[in-house]
Amino acid sequence: MIDNRAKAFINMFAVLGTVTRLCELDKEAQALIADSNISIGFAVKNGPSGTLRFNNGKASIERGASDCTIRLPFGSCERFNGMVDGTVTPFPSKGFTKIGFLMKRFTKLTDILTKYLRPEPEALDDEDFFRISTTLMFHVIIEAIAQIGNEDAVGRQSASYIDDGIAKLSIGSDVSAGLKAENHRLTAIHEEPDSFTSYMTFADMKLARQLFDGKVNAVACVGTGLLRIGGLVPQVDNISRILDRVALYLA
Amino acid sequence: MHKIYEYPKSREYFARAAAVIPSGIYGHQGPAEGCYIPVEAFPLFSERAEGTYFWDVDGNRFIDYMCAYGPNVLGYNDPDVDAAAAAQRKKGDCVTAPSTKMIEFAELLVDTVASADWAFFAKNGNDVTTLSIMAARAYTRRKKIVFFKGYYHGVSPWTQKIDYPGIIEEDVANNIYIPWNDVSAFEQAIAENPGQIAAVISQPYMHGNFKDNELPAEGFWKKIRKLCTDNGIVLVIDDVRAGFRLDLAGSDHYYGFEADLICFCKAIANGYNVSALCGKDFLKSTVSGMTYTGSYWLSAVPFAAGIACITKMRELDLPRLLLEKGLKLKEGLIAAGKKHGFDLHVSGEPALFYLRIADDDTLMLHQEWIAECVKRGVFFTNHHNHFLNYALSDGDIAETVSIADEAFAVVANRRG
Repeated sequence: MIDNRAKAFINMFAVLGTVTRLCELDKEAQALIADSNISIGFAVKNGPSGTLRFNNGKASIERGASDCTIRLPFGSCERFNGMVDGTVTPFPSKGFTKIGFLMKRFTKLTDILTKYLRPEPEALDDEDFFRISTTLMFHVIIEAIAQIGNEDAVGRQSASYIDDGIAKLSIGSDVSAGLKAENHRLTAIHEEPDSFTSYMTFADMKLARQLFDGKVNAVACVGTGLLRIGGLVPQVDNISRILDRVALYLA
Repeated sequence: MHKIYEYPKSREYFARAAAVIPSGIYGHQGPAEGCYIPVEAFPLFSERAEGTYFWDVDGNRFIDYMCAYGPNVLGYNDPDVDAAAAAQRKKGDCVTAPSTKMIEFAELLVDTVASADWAFFAKNGNDVTTLSIMAARAYTRRKKIVFFKGYYHGVSPWTQKIDYPGIIEEDVANNIYIPWNDVSAFEQAIAENPGQIAAVISQPYMHGNFKDNELPAEGFWKKIRKLCTDNGIVLVIDDVRAGFRLDLAGSDHYYGFEADLICFCKAIANGYNVSALCGKDFLKSTVSGMTYTGSYWLSAVPFAAGIACITKMRELDLPRLLLEKGLKLKEGLIAAGKKHGFDLHVSGEPALFYLRIADDDTLMLHQEWIAECVKRGVFFTNHHNHFLNYALSDGDIAETVSIADEAFAVVANRRG
């Protein structure tokens, strides 16, 4: 069962949060924010609040929505999720003069993001597109795992079995990230962690893609050596259980 | 220097298996659940087994400290057990009317297991742990079950956790989880669920994975027993893993208390497939009325094997022998680790020892050492308790310690 509040956290920090990495990897996205100095705050009643900040060609996301140039309030998690799904049009409570950025450039950014996260099958034949799409999906999933582990009732059960430490997740030597567990709360680290207590390494981008798309199973890949796990195995085992729930929310 | 094993045929067979079997080898004997780290260090398929050894499909011989995860208690192909099984096979195995071997086996268990007034047979440990919970619920007409965290009682939905694939909230809605060795947590669970707890189910000591195994604290079982008696809660001991290796009269007897229901499998018939739920007389009528059966549960060959196995274990006073072997091995392994500057923890009961190198909390050092042992012919596993069998000789223990020593040296050199 999907929890709308947990979904709102995923939409805020995993989906919209990945706009920051999109602006690093995609030239068109980079160009769209090259001269922008603007921030969009999303304030969700009984849900998450976050601010996407665009500054001198770089994008970042932070918690809270008090310090922003455009503020978008949402009366419920369902409304916010509706905006991300494209069924709800938000109205700013602050920053009317900047609405052009929201309507044009930001909309364009999210369209590009959707292109990578929900790609047409033939688009994946392009090597560069495939790499960017899989990398972005990897970061969405890492962040979604953290949000599900913290906000979803079943996810919290899984997180309750994760001892303190950092699990390193990587795709070959191409992309690495970490999930830090502290008192059974998870934080995503979107870069290679300096040290780690467990690891889960996908052999390559192709395998990672197949796993993300549910075409192969992680347990089967351990036997073939295409997926390697080690260290504090219960960390990555329980992360895998949360990973199973990511598809439920991002389907 | 010991020979370093390679496994080309195992890998070939695994590729074949993966094409037609989900995950290639599923469950605890597979590379994922078995924590084969790295997978290349471990054999995946066996060719044959004898005594305390098995040979893989590449012809490598292993001193086997997993004993098929417990069933091999006398040694693979024990002549006495195999002869009894062969004799019964000539007469009949799976027949419309069951063999009287079933009665003989039940009588032997009642005579051997201290808390047993009767025995009910099935095939796997999971069959009888599930029956124990159903029986407790049927008898008490209550829903809730208390578990000790770190437990393993099989794979039926009631034993699994809410985040496991295929498990729904309702499957585990009546489960209460409390810490091991925590009597006050059990008291609190009783207070918070008055008249609702049907059973507490537990292994005789905590042999959970990934951490040192923990024996019952002084007085723990007596207090739990009293609380169960005072509150009408059925006390179930899951002796599937430890059963007959600590005490032929049951691990509850070993720790000085009596279970209401006790579950056996693994060591009961030296690898022939049978399990048993034994219980007190007051639960016999309840179990008599339950609908619980299976196609092969009354097969006679495993009963004959079980009779021979338990008879031989009694003649040998096997738990005493396994304790001696376990202590000898434990001493040798700890000394080998110390020689190279490693703090090897050997926890749990010696007949089911659990290994962990305590110098590295991430367990990566431990995983490196285990891999080096396996590649040299000692089949240890990373994060599960091990099992001893009668066929393990002093020479095997010496060879094991020698290989462990070499593996420690390799890891020490690698880590500088």
